Amino acid sequence: MSGGAVNGVVRADLAGAHEQSLAHVARPGSRLTASRRVQIAQVVRDAYLATDPSPPWVRPYGDPALDVAYRVARHAGTITEQWYEQIIGEGMHPLEWVEIIGIVVATVPPVAFARGIGAALPALPAPVDGAPHGREAAELAPATLNWVPVAAPADARASVVQALSALPDEWHNLWQLAAAQYMSDAQMADPLWNRGTLSRPQMELAAGRISSIRECFF
Amino acid sequence: MLSWSSTESGSPADIGAVVHGVGDAGVPFGSEIIAFAEAIGGFDDVALAAARDRITTAAGEAFMIDTAAVVANFEMMTRVADGTGARFPSEAAARRVELDARLDIGGFTSAR
Repeated sequence: MSGGAVNGVVRADLAGAHEQSLAHVARPGSRLTASRRVQIAQVVRDAYLATDPSPPWVRPYGDPALDVAYRVARHAGTITEQWYEQIIGEGMHPLEWVEIIGIVVATVPPVAFARGIGAALPALPAPVDGAPHGREAAELAPATLNWVPVAAPADARASVVQALSALPDEWHNLWQLAAAQYMSDAQMADPLWNRGTLSRPQMELAAGRISSIRECFF
Repeated sequence: MLSWSSTESGSPADIGAVVHGVGDAGVPFGSEIIAFAEAIGGFDDVALAAARDRITTAAGEAFMIDTAAVVANFEMMTRVADGTGARFPSEAAARRVELDARLDIGGFTSAR
């Protein structure tokens, strides 16, 4: 070990999932250009790593998309439905909110993981040219299990599973990360499934402790 | 999930360790896992390096790496849940009442 940093090799599927996620950030999204997505991701990265962050109620950028990214990245447990409605009331489209959550989802894990194992923090890729592609679920529906619109039919799946379903590209990135970092949906149904290094209770202990620290009720 | 998986594996875990961050929850290398997860969730790089060394020494580098991956996953999932207002269906919420009380999480802003 050198300064506590990792010397070994990270699983190829895990390293690949993180690379794929950051590349996803740098491509045009449904509603946002790649350069805007990378700008949002930079805010996410800075917010996640800040040693002296602004308090949750401060909107440090005066730019709704960046302020949402900042708060979700750093103070997610403080977000209320009232604040979501306030931002939407100011003119942000609900699917732009979903896309911003997707960018937070894509950016935080590679940074958190690299910092955790003592590796160099990943740089954000250069944005890819191109206009937003407009892809969204064929049919959207309001949900009772989430604030945000989801792919129809709503509430047929668990709330965290349907959460990003309005934007299929963001949904796929979330679940390709989950499959490499934790387990797939199918594996989750088996309480004894594990990767071979950690037992399932060891995995759930790590998951539970960080969720408690983040004050995530869910 | 911890309660379910540990019971199914034959050694019910102490989920109080999840809440309070003390002890080992009755799970092998539990105290190292808790300390490492807390350090990743904190902002002290010196404490993180110490926790990383401790878990690596106790359980090996591959174990440390896979623990960091799980923590990174839940740094992600907590933001998915809190950023989209995810909640439990009413019947599931009713089943969770006792567990939520044991976890002392009813006061979280994200409780909805």
